[in-house]
Order: sequence, then C-alpha cells, then structure tokens
Amino acid sequence: MSVPVMKVTEMKWPALSLLDKDGIAEFAENLAERYLVFGPVAKGSEYVFAPVGKGEVLELNYHTTILPPKKLLHQPFEVLFSFHEDGIQENIVEQPKQIIFGIHPCDVHAIQILDKAYSVEYEDPYYMNKRKNTLIIALNCSEPAETCFCQSLGTGPFLKDGYDLLLTDIGEAYLVEVGSEAGMELVEAVNLRPAARVALVEKQKVYENARRKFRKRLLTQGLHELLESNFRHPIWEKLKEECLACGSCTMVCPTCFCYNVVDKLDLSLKSGKRTREWDSCMLLEYAQVALGHNFRKDRDARVKQRIYHKLLYYEPQFGTLGCVGCGRCIKTCVKKIDITDVVSRIRGE
Amino acid sequence: MLNPFKPEKAVIREIIHETADTTTYTFSFSEANLQKGFRYHPGQFNMLTIFGIGEAPISISSNNNMDSGVFQHTVRRVGNVTNALAKMKVGDSVGIRGPYGTGWPLNVLEVKNLLLVAGGIGLAPLRPVIQEVMYRRQDFGQVELLYGARTPGELLYTREFEQWRQAGIIVRLTVDAVPEGVTWDGSVGVVTKLFDEMSSEPFDTLVFTCGPEIMMSFVVRGLVNRGFVPEQIYVSLERRMNCGVKKCGKCQIGPKFVCRDGPVFAYAELLTLPEEVLGGVAG
Ligand SMILES: Cc1cc2nc3c(=O)[nH]c(=O)nc-3n(C[C@H](O)[C@H](O)[C@H](O)COP(=O)(O)OP(=O)(O)OC[C@H]3O[C@@H](n4cnc5c(N)ncnc54)[C@H](O)[C@@H]3O)c2cc1C
Ligand code: SF4
Ligand code: SF4
Ligand code: FES
Repeated sequence: MSVPVMKVTEMKWPALSLLDKDGIAEFAENLAERYLVFGPVAKGSEYVFAPVGKGEVLELNYHTTILPPKKLLHQPFEVLFSFHEDGIQENIVEQPKQIIFGIHPCDVHAIQILDKAYSVEYEDPYYMNKRKNTLIIALNCSEPAETCFCQSLGTGPFLKDGYDLLLTDIGEAYLVEVGSEAGMELVEAVNLRPAARVALVEKQKVYENARRKFRKRLLTQGLHELLESNFRHPIWEKLKEECLACGSCTMVCPTCFCYNVVDKLDLSLKSGKRTREWDSCMLLEYAQVALGHNFRKDRDARVKQRIYHKLLYYEPQFGTLGCVGCGRCIKTCVKKIDITDVVSRIRGE
Repeated sequence: MLNPFKPEKAVIREIIHETADTTTYTFSFSEANLQKGFRYHPGQFNMLTIFGIGEAPISISSNNNMDSGVFQHTVRRVGNVTNALAKMKVGDSVGIRGPYGTGWPLNVLEVKNLLLVAGGIGLAPLRPVIQEVMYRRQDFGQVELLYGARTPGELLYTREFEQWRQAGIIVRLTVDAVPEGVTWDGSVGVVTKLFDEMSSEPFDTLVFTCGPEIMMSFVVRGLVNRGFVPEQIYVSLERRMNCGVKKCGKCQIGPKFVCRDGPVFAYAELLTLPEEVLGGVAG
C-alpha cells in the first residue's frame, strides 16, 4: 500500500508549503492571536494537550498525550443548564474559535467517530457548538510509540482527510498540506515557503519508514466472527480476576463517549445546575438501575462490554470500528491488560 | 440549535393513588402549544425531571386518543427522583422531555389477536395498549391480559378492570401471596401460572410483555414451550438511562440503544445479541 499522495484536496488547494522547524513557535503564536490554540506540551515525562502560545512550548515530537483531545469537545465535566424558580438557562454560549494543533491521525479519526455519535438523530448542542468552532492542524506520525497499532486499523500513521492543515516532518522542515478553505486562510495569513512537488516524495519516504516501526498489531480480518463466537471464551474469566474495574482505560480512550448526569443544588435549594461528566462502563454503577439491580455486576461482563463495544458494536452503530489504535488504554492499565493481546489470545496465537 | 436535553415545564393536574407505593399522575405542559403538539405511541417514555434531584425514564401510561389535553405517568417509589415526585401536590410542576423510544408495534404490524403479559409496574406501559384496543376495538380479535402482582393490594388500575372486561378484553389476574384477612378469588402464583388457563393461541397473535427482567425471561421461555415463536413476542426492557437520545451510552446492549432502538424489542432481535438479555440477568 502506498500513501495517497495526490489527493482531491490537493487539487482544490494546490499550495504545498514548508514550515521551518524553528518557525513553529512563531506560527503557533501567530495563530494564538486569533484562536485558542491547544497542542501537545510536556508534563513531567508525559504530554498533554494544553493552551500554547503564552509561554507553553509546543512539543511536536510527542508520542501520545495522557488524555485525548476529546476533552476539548466533550468536556470531562460540563454544565448543561442552570435552573431556578422561573425557568431554565441553557449553558450554550458563543464558543471561541479553537485550533487543535499537532493532533495525530488516530485522534483525528476518533473525533470523526465522536462527530457521528454526537450528531446521529439528536444533535448534541454542547458538543456540536464546540466542534463547529474547531480547526484541526494534524501531524502525521513518523515515530509510532510502543503501544501504537493504528496501522492495523487504517487510522494511521498518516492521515488522508479530516484536517484543515496537515503537517509532516520531512526532516529539514514540516511539509504543510491544506485540507479546507479554513486551512487555506491559515496558511495565507502567514508567510510560508512554497514547497516543490518533490517534497511529496520525501513524505512518502517518511511514511514507509514509519510503517516499519510498529511493534503492535490487531488483526481485523474475521474479527466480527471471532468475537461473536467467543463470548464465553475462558479468557474472560481470567480478565475478571485481573481487571480492577478502575475505569482508567475508558477515561483515556479518544472514542469513549459515555457520560453520567448529576443535578447540583445551590445552597438556597431553589436553584442549581444539571451537569454531566465522563462515565465508564468499567465501573460497577454504570449498568445499575433502581433497587440495586445491576445488569453488569461481574467484572468480566464489564471488560467484555468495553472490548466488544470498541471492536464489534461501534460498526453497526456508527459505520466504523470504535478503536483507533492509539494505545492509551494499554499504556494506562496498571494490570497491563492489552486489547491487542486479548484479541490475539482469543485467536489462539 | 434545538436542545434535546432541555426539559419543558409540566404541571401535575391530578394524583391518583394506585397502591401503597405507586401513583398515577396526570400532567399537562404549561405551554399550551407544547401540549397540543405532544403526540406519542403506546410504549414510548418520557424523561421526567425533578430539578435538583435528577431525571428518570418513565413510560407514558395514557393513550393519546383518550385525551390529548393531558398525559399520564404511573410511578413506583423506589429512589431519589421517584420519592421526590411522591412528595409533590396537584399544581406543582416537574420537567418533561420526550416522547422517546419506539413503542409497541401497533401501527407497524398488522395486529389481530393480542396477548399482554404484565408484572407489577410493568402494566404501566401496557395500559395505553389496552386503551388503544378499547378505542378501536373492531380492529382487533381476541385480546387477553395476564397480570401478576405480589399481593392483591399491589395490583394497578383495579378500578378500570371492569371497563376493560366490558370491552371484551379477557383479564386474568394472579398474585404471589394473599395476606391474611384479604379476600381474593383470582389465582395465586407467578404470572406464568396463568399460561395453563389462558385462551390465547400462537396463531395470528402478538405477545407484548413488560415486568421485571426475571419475570420476562420466564414468560418468553414459557411461551416458546407452548409453541409461540420469538418473532411474535415483544418485550419492553429497563436499562439505566441518562439521556433518552442515544448520547450518554448507558442503555446500550450490544449495538442497540435501548432508549432509541427500544425499549420495545422483538424477542427474536434480542436473541441475536452476544450479551445475554432474557436468559436471566448477568450476575
Ligand atoms: C424505558 C423505561 C420505562 C420505565 N417506566 C417506568 C414507569 O412507567 N413507572 C415506573 O415507576 N418506573 C419506570 N421505569 C423505571 C424507572 O426509570 C426507575 O424506577 C427510576 O429511574 C428510578 O429513579 P430514582 O431516581 O427514583 O431511583 P434511584 O435508584 O435513586 O436512581 C435511579 C438510577 O440512578 C442510579 N443512581 C442514582 N444515584 C446514583 C449515584 N449517586 N451514583 C450512581 N448511580 C446512581 C441508580 O443506580 C439507578 O439506576 C422505567 C424505566 C425505563 C428504562
Ligand atoms: S482494563 Fe485496566 S485500566 Fe481498564 S478498568 Fe481494568 S484495570 Fe483499569
Ligand atoms: S480502545 Fe484503547 S487503543 Fe483503542 S482507541 Fe480506545 S484507548 Fe485507544
Ligand atoms: S439513555 Fe443515553 S444512550 Fe440511551
């Protein structure tokens, strides 16, 4: 397989440009004058998406962030509305325009999945309001981390669409490709060097090189049948004992969308707020209904729910697998439970 | 942008005490136009808000054809929201959004004979079906209700049974136990015991059932043993719901969102899911 270097988007926006590596900070600062810019910055030995431009240094050589950029669209905690004696005030305010800078292909794919989840049938105004004001400056991956397996799922290491701008590290500089009208405007606002078409050959080389570096994979061939016929595989009994049901794996997952709703009363007891916060199918209360009845009381049922949802149920729901291979759940699990390993063990490998 | 999470104000018009822990509330939306436009099918539900306490999915226990100026919910006190509702008076208001879910396939399938099997509060979403039958009786053939509760005092809608019988609906009742001093001429035992005396046959019949999941699992098994097929049996499921509109994820079973693809499912459809649904509750 070769990377689709000549793209439709490229024909619409023919400009290929180069962004010098030492010009990145200036470029981001320039954007930060007009947008809220979020990008990967170092935090201890890890990386997080944080506002850049004001002292925070973009670290484009990052592997993966602790939390996915999902947090900028579907917030960990959010007020839906406030209520008082004479009515409801919706918390839908004019959103500042934001840019997610340096987002990897897997995370862009994850946002495309969230877009579906949050727009299907009933549009979620809170998510969509932020999403419509978000531009994506993606960064192709040249150094997959140990836990990455996007290549198996077609969600990386390079991106084909879904970006406003796409950067690729081609050594001396970043190759900049334009994917939308809004992206074109970003490029026009700054002075970028035009790139010769030969830069695409460089890009192809980086791609071939990145592809060879993956250490994990998740074979998707026959995956549906495999999972459907192994709902009672002995591995689930083992995982029932291993998993702590801490919920970390879902918190860091860029495609997990579940939330819980909580009402909070003010001290007056007459007014308050309805809020939502991220929830996890790994937690005991998740499937509990009134009178303490629980539909997934046992941990194996919950481990299975997470893995089956990602690899089997998303497809009929949203037309694509629910895992983008970012590896965060593998990295975060203290019990070293690894979704790729679970699949290969079921395969008997 | 339309906000599907914003409840509308609805006022309690009437309160009918059904049993010691269950009450039927008659509501209408404060805004007349909202009430006028509020159309729903038997088996659909609303999300009911008590501001500051929370929100709960509750079936609509009335039928649009009866009185479109109001709608009803029959609610059993079990927790935060339902207890808070129980403290309210006529004239108080709650938040309502809906209707949600698919409802019973009354207008989707050609229905001739109907067998309704209900346990406890599970009769609430089936009452609109009974009212639909009464509204257009000539469209249906034999209609039979098998209804079970723990004791005679826990049967819902007892004041309406006579009306239902007069409309030619066969009503068979059973209770788990009869407390001392209570007279009871119905049957004693779980609802599936009524299968031995029921008039319904598999041919040309649809079955709608709602009740505790464990009851429904016995119902579907009992019916299949009597020659009914999974395709003709419809069940209404309960799951945790925090949105009602396919967003919070809570209600999912396999790829299904119970809030939108259900809560009514053909039993045959549930059998295709990897996660066991009516084969007994996990754990
Ligand atoms: C489609 C559908 C239709 C229904 N129709 C009816 C009906 O017609 N009549 C009726 O009486 N009932 C009906 N129910 C059941 C009804 O929704 C529940 O009884 C109701 O949600 C109970 O709410 P509660 O706040 O009173 O109970 P609670 O037990 O206080 O809370 C309800 C849910 O929230 C969870 N919860 C509450 N607080 C917390 C917390 N702090 N942390 C974690 N979890 C928490 C509970 O586990 C439970 O699942 C229906 C349910 C469904 C799904
Ligand atoms: S799989 Fe790992 S991270 Fe996820 S709940 Fe279990 S122990 Fe926690
Ligand atoms: S399941 Fe794990 S690897 Fe897949 S997208 Fe979620 S966090 Fe990433
Ligand atoms: S209740 Fe939220 S997804 Fe169904």
